[in-house]
Amino acid sequence: MVKEVDQHRRQVLKGAISASTIALVAASGLLLPQRLLAHWPKNAFNAETVEDALLALLDEAEVAEDSAISFKVGTPPSYAVNGASVPVQILSELENIERIAILVEKNPFPLAMSLDVTEAVKLPFKTMIKIREDSNVIAIVRADGKLYKTSRFVEVDIGGCG
Amino acid sequence: MGLVSKDRLRAKLKNGDTTVRVLLSHPMHTGRAKNSAGELIAAEFIQDIRCWRNDVEILTMKCGTATAKNPYFSFQLVAGKAGDKISLRWVDNLGTKGLAETMVK
Repeated sequence: MVKEVDQHRRQVLKGAISASTIALVAASGLLLPQRLLAHWPKNAFNAETVEDALLALLDEAEVAEDSAISFKVGTPPSYAVNGASVPVQILSELENIERIAILVEKNPFPLAMSLDVTEAVKLPFKTMIKIREDSNVIAIVRADGKLYKTSRFVEVDIGGCG
Repeated sequence: MGLVSKDRLRAKLKNGDTTVRVLLSHPMHTGRAKNSAGELIAAEFIQDIRCWRNDVEILTMKCGTATAKNPYFSFQLVAGKAGDKISLRWVDNLGTKGLAETMVK
């Protein structure tokens, strides 16, 4: 008898706790992270192929291969000893650049970085990325509403996503 | 964890344009690596970086897990003068925030 009461009490307690937890999570979810991360395109960063990432990020995957962007990857270029920090440099003569994206084709999540650029910013843009294995590295630039793409194959000695 | 102050931000005038270099101090765990005990290290990486010049927003960077440890960025700003204020804020996936500020030299 005592045991039964105890059981019941436990269930009531459990229910109350989980209800309040859910309420708390919901409240914090609405108030905090959303405000902080409102603009982080989760779908794009969690996409597992280059096309999906581009579709999620830019709503389109139709790109023109173009020589208007030049692109340096690795030290020495096109080869990287350590995949955990591969230098990347993007240069372009295009005007009205709105957005730049860097993708690594064979990474678990290809999209490495996405930049929203204003007219105050001038290229070259340099940064370091991780590359898991020998792979194409792709730079996408959106300028005047058009997408331009360039890619470069990089060999990696030590994978950088482990 | 609050504000981290080890981030470095340098801005220099060069041929009339401003060169900005950023070095943030962050482990950038992808969530795939394992520690010495073979347990996965939870993901912890910078997601959003915003950059201002004299309180005008000039650049937003969204990073995925493929950004290298202690992220480094370098870019140029059109024109500018000595004394311009360059400021930068970042937020990681756990909500940790960072802030850096510098004057153009």
